[in-house]
Amino acid sequence: MIISIISAIFIISGLFFFAGAAIGILRFPDFYTRTHAAGKGDTLSSLLVITGFAIYQLKGFESFAADWPILLVIFKLLSVSIFIIFTSPTSTHALMDAGWEEHNEPKIMEGRPNHLGEDSDQF
Amino acid sequence: MLSKVFATIAVVITGGLLLYGVYDFPSFGDPNSPPNAGVEGGADSVSQYFITQTYNDSKVPNIVTAVLADYRGYDTMFETVVVFAAGIAIFCIMRSLGNANDPAKEKDEMHSFTHGDHNRIIIGTTCRIVVPIVQIFALYVIAHGHYSPGGGFQGGVLLGASFILLALSSDLNAALKRLSEKNYFALAAIGVLIYAGFGLVAQFLGANFLEYGVLQPLLFTDGPEMARSHSMLGVEIGVAFTVMAIMFSIYANLSTRGTLKNGL
Repeated sequence: MIISIISAIFIISGLFFFAGAAIGILRFPDFYTRTHAAGKGDTLSSLLVITGFAIYQLKGFESFAADWPILLVIFKLLSVSIFIIFTSPTSTHALMDAGWEEHNEPKIMEGRPNHLGEDSDQF
Repeated sequence: MLSKVFATIAVVITGGLLLYGVYDFPSFGDPNSPPNAGVEGGADSVSQYFITQTYNDSKVPNIVTAVLADYRGYDTMFETVVVFAAGIAIFCIMRSLGNANDPAKEKDEMHSFTHGDHNRIIIGTTCRIVVPIVQIFALYVIAHGHYSPGGGFQGGVLLGASFILLALSSDLNAALKRLSEKNYFALAAIGVLIYAGFGLVAQFLGANFLEYGVLQPLLFTDGPEMARSHSMLGVEIGVAFTVMAIMFSIYANLSTRGTLKNGL
């Protein structure tokens, strides 16, 4: 019972961040902020959902001798989440890098201080 | 232009014939279709046979792999040959279309290569870590095709994708250094040869083409069932070789217009 509740909390918070990422992709003004929303939201929410699945697998775990295959499933799920930790931010970074190389200008409000002034071509 | 018109006509006619053929199929999941119910006065149900007898025949729990690599192994062999032929065709087309000696094009390519080129340390490091993991997982998919979803085609695609990732993250030369053009075409041919070799050896031992059961004395197995199981693994390895090599060959030729220089 308590395991179900903990895993449900993880999965629902993951879905919450998924929804945040989707809203961010739709509502943010330019390429960079949208990619930012997609990258951060997707990474965190995938991690939370997969961790929730891994915790749910512990349900019914009584003795190590009889139930060790459950640990194998948890190991696989955690490997997937480690893979996502490495690859998802990298792909977001690659996407932003490609956009910057294609001279995709970020949208900046008039009068706002930013680091894209006169001496900004040092990338 | 005219050739495109004729090509379009040929494609439309072929597609129409295929759709016409699909129209004659029994509907999806129909319990009275011949494969599910058998033919009256003729053969028994094929599906029933596969579901009940696959494990007794070949000790392979994954029926899909057994059907793919054993019961209809002839079909899968020519699927592999189709992959091989597609790779060769793309290689030939790109080599004759991509004019390597055109000076204007070369200048343009040089520009696109140097523009915005800086040290991609994050992408390079991550790909260096990820590529070996992808390759080990691909080997797992190939070897575990008997017991879980997977097999030669899927594992081969993963292996090819790992080389493509290497080429994307640094440049094509880094990948070609590890798998040169000579080597990948040799691997593609060796893959088909492994598959056909299993069939031919069975033929020399007095059985039908691709009838793996008679390979038992060569594979030192307990019975013809295990010989079939091990031969399926061998055949899947051949498929994986071909698919990996052709995947990478298609990427390398398409991304450089057949010149194998610079790349994306």
